[in-house]
Amino acid sequence: MSTSLDETLRAAVRELADHAGPAPDLATRALGRGRRLRRRRRVTAAGAALVAVVAVTLPFVLFRPRPTPPPTTPPTAPPVTVTPSPAMRPTPGADWAGKPLVLPGDWVVIRAQATGGSGSGVLLDRGRGRYFTTDRYDGIFPAPTGSLVAVTQEDRPREVGLVDTANGRTRWYEVGPALSAPAWSPDGRRLLFTTQRFDHFGFVVLGRDGARKTHPVDMKRFLCTDYCFFVWTRDGREVALQQTDPNRPRSESARHPRRGVQLFSADDGRPTRFEPMPGDPAGPWSWSPDGSLVVVQGQQEPLLVETATGRVVNQLPTADAVWVTDDRLLYRRPHGSRDFVLADLSGRELVRQPLPKQLVDLEVTVAPR
Amino acid sequence: MAEVDGEFTAFVNERGAALLRVAYALAGNQHAAEDLLQNALAKAYARWPRIRGDAEPYVKRILYHDQVSGWRRRARRPEVPLAELPERAVTGEEDTDLRLLLRDALRALPPRQRAVLTLRYLEDLSVEQTAALLGCRTGTVASQSAKALAKLRQLVPGLDERTSRAEVTR
Repeated sequence: MSTSLDETLRAAVRELADHAGPAPDLATRALGRGRRLRRRRRVTAAGAALVAVVAVTLPFVLFRPRPTPPPTTPPTAPPVTVTPSPAMRPTPGADWAGKPLVLPGDWVVIRAQATGGSGSGVLLDRGRGRYFTTDRYDGIFPAPTGSLVAVTQEDRPREVGLVDTANGRTRWYEVGPALSAPAWSPDGRRLLFTTQRFDHFGFVVLGRDGARKTHPVDMKRFLCTDYCFFVWTRDGREVALQQTDPNRPRSESARHPRRGVQLFSADDGRPTRFEPMPGDPAGPWSWSPDGSLVVVQGQQEPLLVETATGRVVNQLPTADAVWVTDDRLLYRRPHGSRDFVLADLSGRELVRQPLPKQLVDLEVTVAPR
Repeated sequence: MAEVDGEFTAFVNERGAALLRVAYALAGNQHAAEDLLQNALAKAYARWPRIRGDAEPYVKRILYHDQVSGWRRRARRPEVPLAELPERAVTGEEDTDLRLLLRDALRALPPRQRAVLTLRYLEDLSVEQTAALLGCRTGTVASQSAKALAKLRQLVPGLDERTSRAEVTR
C-alpha cells in the first residue's frame, strides 16, 4: 500500500504523456492542412451543391512507404502465444505498397487509417493493384469489392462522398443528421448508416446512385441500450440491431446484457426475424458463410455462438473476426498487435502474417480478395 | 496572411510540445497523436483571426472533441493498438513496475475513457470542468471513470492490492 490508486494513476497518465516524441515539422504540416481546410470551407461557403459535386482528378496519390523511424514506445514483453507454433509468414518488404497485401485465407488489406479516422489513410486501388494515400478526408471507407470509396469530412457531417477510383469522379450525397460512420454491404452496392437523432432512431440505406431510404425503428419495441448500431448481415439482405435483455441487471460500468439481434429488411425496413445471441456482432463477416454460427462481443468475452439456439460454443480471442471459410477465422491479434492470424474455430492459430511496419499503429480494414 | 502564418507558427513552436503530450495521452501512440494534433491545429489555423488570443484552450477543446467524436463514430470497436500486456502479476515490488503496467493498460482503454482520465489526471480538471469541456453530464464523467477503472483492474492484476483505494471516481 505504498501509494494511493489516485496518485499511481496520475503518475501513469503523465508518464504516458511523457512518451510523446519530438515532432519537428509540426507547424509546417499543420499549416498545410489548415490551408486545405480553409480552402474547403470557402468552397462550401460559396454554395457547394447539396448533391453531386463532381471532382475530375483522382484525390489519391501513390503511397510510398518511408523508412520506418525507431520505435517511440519502449519494448514490451513478447506477445503471449496461446497455441503451439503457427506457420509464420515473412514481414512484407519495403515495396509492399506496390501490390495487394494478401492475408492468410486470401483476404486483402483494403484500407488503413489512424484510429479515429482522421488524417492520412492508405487505400488499395483494386484496379491499379497498388496502394494510394490521401489526407483529404477525415474518413475513408472503401467498398469490399469494386472501385468505390465512401469518404466523410467533419465539416460536411450530413453528407457522404463516393469516390470512384476507376475514373476519379467524386459525388457527394446528403444522407441526414446524427450519422454513424458508413458501412458497406458485403456486395459493395449499398451503404448503411445508423441515425441517432433524438426520437428518430433508425437506419439509412444509400445506393451507389444516391437513392436513399430512411427507416425509423421503435427503440421501445426493439429495446437497445448502451451501444446501438445497425450492421449488415452476411447476405446483405437484412440489417441487425443489438437487443438488450430486459430481465438482467444493467450497469454503466459494463456492457449491457444482450438477448440477441433483431433483423430488419434492408429494402423496406420491416422487422423480419430474431436471432438469439449473448452479444454484438461486429459486422457482416461476423456470421459464418452458412449462417449457422456467429462471432459476437459478449458482455465480457468474445464468443462463438450458434445462431439457431444462442448457445455459446466457445470463447475467442477477439470479436473483430471475419469468416474466410466455414471453419477458419481471420483476425488481427488482440490489442492491435502487428500480426493477422488465421485460426480455427477454437482460436488455435494456424498462420500468422505480420503487417508492414507502416500499418502497425493504424486501424486496418480487410476484404475478400 | 503572412502575419497569420507567423503568429500561428510561433504558437505551434512554443506550445506544440505541451499540446503533443496531451494528444499522446489521448491517442496512445506517436503517429495517432501527431495526427490528432495536426487536425486540431489545422482547425485552429482556419479560424485563427477569431481565436488568436485564446488558441491553446481552443486547440485542447478540439483535441478532446475529436477524440470523443471518433469514439462515437467507431462505437466500441477499435481500441488503440498496443502489444500484449505482460502476463505477470503485480506482487509488491516497485511502484515503477505498476506504473509501467498501468501505462500500457491505459493505451488499451477506449478513447473516451482515456479522454476522461487525461482531463482528470494530466490536466487536473474537476469532474464538473471535465463534463463542461466534453459537453456531457457529470454523471457521464463518473460512469466513464468507473468503466475505465474496471478495465484497468482487469488488465492490471493486483492493482488494488498494490495501492490504497483512494476514491478516483468522485
